[in-house]
Amino acid sequence: MRNIQKLIAAFLFTASIFAGEIYFCTNDIGKMPLLQGGRVKPLSVHAKESIKHLTGKSKIDGLSAPQIYCLLSASAFGMPNKLNLKTRIEHKDTRKLLDGKTEMSYKDLLDEQRTIRTAWMRIKDETSAKKDLNRLMAKIALYQDIASASNWTIPQYTGNKISWIPLAAFLTEDKVKAAKLSGGNPFEKLFIDAKNEYIKIDGDLFLLEYKYDQMQLMKIAMILTLIALAALVLFKKFAIALGLSVVIVVLQTAFLALRVYISGRAPVTNMYETVLFSGYGGLILAMIIGHYKKEKTFIYMGLAYNLCCLMMINFAGSMVNESISPLVPVLRDNFWLSTHVTTIIISYGALALSWVMANTIIVKKFFSKLTKADEIYYNDLIYTSLKYGTTLLAAGIILGGVWADYSWGRFWGWDPKETWSLIVLCIYIAILHGKYTAWIPAHRFAHLIAAAFMSVMMAWFGVNYILASGLHSYGFSEGGAIFLGSFFAIQTLVLLITFRSSKQTKA
Amino acid sequence: MNNLYTKVERTVGGLKFAVFIILLFSLMMTIGTFVESYYGTDFANRLIYKTPFFMGIQFCMFLSILFATFIRLPIKKRLHGFYVIHTGLITIGVGSFVTYVAGIDGTIHLPPLTPTRQIVLNEDVIEVVMPDHNKRASVKLPYSAMATDLDIQYADVKVTKFIPFAEKKLSWQEEMNPTTSPNIHSTKYNVANPNVAQDFILSLHPEAFDFKASLTMGLLNITYLPKAMAECFTKQSKEKLILWNSVESTCSTTEELGIKVQKTSTGKRFFAIKNDKTVYSFLPDISPWAMDADLKPITNAPIRVFSMNLFEEKPHLFLFGKSAAFYDKDEDKWIFEKFDSKGEMDLPWMGFTLSLLEHHEKKVPTYIPEETLPIQKNGALIKGDYKAARIKIRDKEYWVTSERPVSLLIDGKKVTVYLTKRSFMLPFEFTLANFKMDKNPGTNSPASYESFVDLFTDKGTSRHHIYMNNPLKHDGFTFYQASYSQDRETGQYSSTLSVNVDQGRVIKYLGSILLVIGSIWHFIINGRTRRKENDILGLDPKGDNNA
Repeated sequence: MRNIQKLIAAFLFTASIFAGEIYFCTNDIGKMPLLQGGRVKPLSVHAKESIKHLTGKSKIDGLSAPQIYCLLSASAFGMPNKLNLKTRIEHKDTRKLLDGKTEMSYKDLLDEQRTIRTAWMRIKDETSAKKDLNRLMAKIALYQDIASASNWTIPQYTGNKISWIPLAAFLTEDKVKAAKLSGGNPFEKLFIDAKNEYIKIDGDLFLLEYKYDQMQLMKIAMILTLIALAALVLFKKFAIALGLSVVIVVLQTAFLALRVYISGRAPVTNMYETVLFSGYGGLILAMIIGHYKKEKTFIYMGLAYNLCCLMMINFAGSMVNESISPLVPVLRDNFWLSTHVTTIIISYGALALSWVMANTIIVKKFFSKLTKADEIYYNDLIYTSLKYGTTLLAAGIILGGVWADYSWGRFWGWDPKETWSLIVLCIYIAILHGKYTAWIPAHRFAHLIAAAFMSVMMAWFGVNYILASGLHSYGFSEGGAIFLGSFFAIQTLVLLITFRSSKQTKA
Repeated sequence: MNNLYTKVERTVGGLKFAVFIILLFSLMMTIGTFVESYYGTDFANRLIYKTPFFMGIQFCMFLSILFATFIRLPIKKRLHGFYVIHTGLITIGVGSFVTYVAGIDGTIHLPPLTPTRQIVLNEDVIEVVMPDHNKRASVKLPYSAMATDLDIQYADVKVTKFIPFAEKKLSWQEEMNPTTSPNIHSTKYNVANPNVAQDFILSLHPEAFDFKASLTMGLLNITYLPKAMAECFTKQSKEKLILWNSVESTCSTTEELGIKVQKTSTGKRFFAIKNDKTVYSFLPDISPWAMDADLKPITNAPIRVFSMNLFEEKPHLFLFGKSAAFYDKDEDKWIFEKFDSKGEMDLPWMGFTLSLLEHHEKKVPTYIPEETLPIQKNGALIKGDYKAARIKIRDKEYWVTSERPVSLLIDGKKVTVYLTKRSFMLPFEFTLANFKMDKNPGTNSPASYESFVDLFTDKGTSRHHIYMNNPLKHDGFTFYQASYSQDRETGQYSSTLSVNVDQGRVIKYLGSILLVIGSIWHFIINGRTRRKENDILGLDPKGDNNA
């Protein structure tokens, strides 16, 4: 590597290497293909995920994530940079271990590795402190992996197939010298050659993913949803809201279609995708029901719910991870994924519409009044959403049972995910039955529906974020659990505050 | 009577009962999911999902659905959807009952290239095997979550207790058959440095089934030797050969016994010694055992040889109960040490300190099963993954565990008692011909795993390919790819298939279709239009809801 370093000094545009130099790390480096996490993807996507994971940011000192990733890798060859990546020290016990610091640079953390490892080994139980140390060690290991030029893999054509080698092994003195002979920047030439060779053999799907990632369609969709909702609620412009809803659906369809094309599977395999799909499905369902029922409020319900979902996928990156990762073998069946999971997720969307309406009713009643006829009318809109929600959920659960029967040989196994979806169905069915008894009067219906949606959140997020963590994770220490806990707390608070006002109806 | 029936039908078929029973069902399931997440799937099944109480709730739901349908007869047009939904649910209930009563749900483990026909079911049994009588019997154990006292007798074996989730508790027990030699001892030690600490027990006692006389900890090998041998490690010896006489429990060096050590033509050391009337010859650098004329080890010979040279290269620690010996490379000599007043000694490797915790000559270290709540982590039990049963055979009590059977002689006839799962034999045979595992590129995580099996039946052999979402159906049985395991030494894969017979399948599917069709029908029939007075968003102020 030392020889490479000398060579680099010779090839750089300036006579001496200085720390502000970006070497070959232009923004175009993001278009390189790279194999990581079991999948070929553009460097830009992997760099964004890695740098965000390490620092919580995707841009530092005007440098983009691919550039930071590239410069960090280049430092393995002795190319200095001004980067000083830092991470937050989350847990109070970890802070205590590291002299009370709340933020530390990775360069300092490398020196503390032994201390951290020792502390980690000393904690016997799976406490939140141990988990935090575990995460910190993983981050330091990733940093080291990138900074030693081992994380960045480059395709190499050998023996008529592509093999992937780390940058540390790719940039050899011989190669750089040979590339120099043909003139120009030798590094860029090496990278471009490697990329072109890869495209010739395996195609350029990763470049499509590069564009998909750059377009930031879901940010646009979120802003449009916000505008549409404002047009409807604040300015009472239904036509604008409807027009924008169509545009949003088109955007989300395009985004999902690209994602399906890139990943080669139905877009319902992780939290990010289900949240996105549920909001999208909810909006479409609301538009269809609204059209047939001739009721504009459905558009409001659909937009409001879609906004919640879009905000989650844009702002809650630590909880709903947008990366496309390989699936566990048992889920690799597009037929069942696209029938069972989509049905369940759309049913959650339909139930969410009822949740939006229910909360709107109780808030409306708290701040102003609702006539008895209107209360019954709007309860009926909730009921309409519930009809779709429960039917789809029942169908989804059955499809899940059939899939399980087909691939595991059992229709039902009391697995927490399937059990919770049945709990959700039972709760809504109990409410639908209770509606005909004296137990649930009209003025309590909306309250119950708003509360019932907490079961959906439990089935959807809770099973993954609370139940899956199991014993000894006391804690609402992780992102998902904090989100869910806050959701339950706020919803409960809203219900408690508005409970007294629920009886007030104008005659 | 008729009146009572009508009353029951009205109550159980009523809406309030329906709401109550559905909520009770939901509550139990909610508890079940939390129990599952803390204590594992098996525990949740035993405590909730597969208990008579929970099945009773499901039966009540079944009755509620049935009676709710009955009280709405004769058929009314407006309730068509309702009838279909409820018929669907009743059908699913019947189908599930058929599966529960007649279905089979088990697993078959396929080692590579070994014909197999044994299906293992999820049912705990005590199996008593009496090879001399050519008898084999299974005693069914209860499907309970907690320890249960039992009184089940088969021949001379009486099962008195079953613990479905147990952990091992160390206990120093009195010897069953008292020993006389002072060189049959057991010790508990702790080895620690600032980073790690570990307790370990070594034993020379023949009744200490759970413990051995040697173990490996990372790079360090530990050997436990009779205390009488310690003195020979302190003796100066040129040949560095120690002879151990296990009958007399004495040790001596070759020099002390005046034995001449010679070399073979290939440079290997050898010597011979006469004991009583037998002459034993040794190749001390090859084997501790005496060799016979064919160079086969004589493992029952009273004399063994110990060549210290062999243990100078790698870290080896020899423990004699209250003292230890090891070779110090830096000082190029054997060190013999006793524990200090605090019961500690420093070792020359990685800053380790060895502590003596307990030493016994008459007591036997034994793991006694003790009931515990299991703990599940990442889908596997990390605590309580161990079952035990207490059995009584002619006034003597024993623990039989899922890890170790009990074998003994009753009236001179061998009897072995196992704690295992019920199994049965398939009418045909399987062989795993090949196992294919694809990994996600650049990672170690499996992308797919597939079994290629040969199926041997009366009609001949056929090759089948079983993988996720592609089961094999044969003779009423369905085989699914469930999991796999890899032999650490050979690297060969074994495959585990789940096996299933489900006569209720068609009924359940029919019920499911009815349920979904019914739901759609019901909601279409019940579509109605109401009028609003004011728009909640203020869009149509005068109730003009024509969008």
